[in-house]
Amino acid sequence: MTRHGRKPDETTLSVWQVIELARHQDRPYALDYIRRMAPDFIELHGDRLSGDDPALVGGIGTWHGRTTMFLGHQKGRSLKERVARNWGMMHPEGYRKAIRLAHQAAKFRFPIVSLIDTPGAYPGAGAEERGIAAAIAEAVMEWFRIPVPIVAAVIGEGGSGGALGMGVADRVIMLENSIYSVASPEAAASIVWRDNARKVEAAEQLQLTSRDLLAMGVVEEVVTEPEGSARADYDAVAVALDEAMHRHMQALLVQPTDELLQHRYERFRYIDSLVHAEPEFGPKV
Amino acid sequence: MVVPKGQPEVRIAGSKLPVIPLPTNCPGCGVGLEIEELKKRNYVCECGHHFRLGADAWIALIADQSSWQERWEDIRSHDLLNWKVPKPYQAEIDRLMDEGLNEAVRTGTCKLNGRPIWLAAFDFRFVGGTLSIVAGERLARGMEAAAASGIPYVLVSASGGARMQEGVLALMQMAKVNAALGRLHAAGVPYFSVLTDPTFGGTAASLALLADINIAEPNAAIGFTGARVIKQATYADLPDGFQTAEFQLAHGQVDLVVPRTELRRLLAHLLEMYP
Repeated sequence: MTRHGRKPDETTLSVWQVIELARHQDRPYALDYIRRMAPDFIELHGDRLSGDDPALVGGIGTWHGRTTMFLGHQKGRSLKERVARNWGMMHPEGYRKAIRLAHQAAKFRFPIVSLIDTPGAYPGAGAEERGIAAAIAEAVMEWFRIPVPIVAAVIGEGGSGGALGMGVADRVIMLENSIYSVASPEAAASIVWRDNARKVEAAEQLQLTSRDLLAMGVVEEVVTEPEGSARADYDAVAVALDEAMHRHMQALLVQPTDELLQHRYERFRYIDSLVHAEPEFGPKV
Repeated sequence: MVVPKGQPEVRIAGSKLPVIPLPTNCPGCGVGLEIEELKKRNYVCECGHHFRLGADAWIALIADQSSWQERWEDIRSHDLLNWKVPKPYQAEIDRLMDEGLNEAVRTGTCKLNGRPIWLAAFDFRFVGGTLSIVAGERLARGMEAAAASGIPYVLVSASGGARMQEGVLALMQMAKVNAALGRLHAAGVPYFSVLTDPTFGGTAASLALLADINIAEPNAAIGFTGARVIKQATYADLPDGFQTAEFQLAHGQVDLVVPRTELRRLLAHLLEMYP
């Protein structure tokens, strides 16, 4: 856990209560953070192939004196805005836009900040027709080649491949009351029980809270939220998130590029190393 | 080109499973099945229905006789999340291992028409062919070895996606495998992916669709989100043939739709044409 703010109380919230906080409509969304981190943020649009995905915002802003590429899932608050943002669920165009902007960042040596907050990629016929699986796959593979530092933070929901497609980074951190999971509890219940009403039981087994992920070694840090969770004080949580992301970014900015990419490779190649330590896993090649 | 047949069967010692569990009648045409006849046709009915194969049958179908050398078969899954309901995960994987299956991916080296290849095959019978830590580890190690040695990599997929019972670490296998896959491509090593019924979720959204040549079996279901979930989420009427191999061909996601009876010959030919 981070040193600033209060210590999270391990006993107060159930897993389902954390999920409700992570999904709360008053929880700060990506643009709430980006506009506080970089007040001069300019949003850039389009994948240069066929469209623009409003579920993912991308653009440039000055962050601690440096032009930075910001990317983030954006949910909507009002019903109208939710429909427009598609509840933060990306289509293939979103992943292609993200990679286009990552290439631009690489060209100008801008570091990349990625804020993750999605239930998952959009489960619809149009997304399938336009190649959502390949779009996520390409993005996941391409992030390993982007030769500038990337810091990602899960700020709400980190749902499934839709989140991972934006989550290959040199450092990944989480806000205290955010979640990161192989699938949403509803989807996991639908797969395991064939009944998404078993979502609470699924959630309790998935180990998807920030504390679980820190213990598994999947994230580097958990940023503590204020009393009453992130929605109680947007400014305070933005300052805490900014401080943590900037601290990680500073360490990455001094790394030579080949070392940066090698570490990014190893970060994910051996991400389950806490588990592999078992003798029956056998020696590595 | 004359391409000799693969080896008859690759069985794990003590396996109690048939190569594939077969119904008595073909689900495609309803005709009663003659197992020996079907075997000669690589488990493709005369009506064109392709029966699902396990990893052992795929290895037998692709590898030259006596050329298969399995690697890392000793790495084992275990219940890291303490998953209890509806089925205890540890008991489930113990039961499947006891039946003679060995995780959702088996990998190793073999020859195809005399050319050395790396081969990895998913097994849908093992927790729905789901991408697990062991599956991801075998895939990534094989890709790293193929990248280092320059030996072409062949994948046969049949998978429901990432394995729920291994939680977020199963999700991370997509990144782990694609990291290794990026190095395979950067090393200039050919990668051929055979997509079989069904290939979905985290497997489709990681390695299965990123080959130099994506080859799908006729009528195989391939996609990210399954049709049942799409209908639940969007109330959409899905067109006939949605997410079939032919649909993916029409939408630019696969290069070829090839019957299984022609697959070995095609792969042998591709191995002649690519370095």
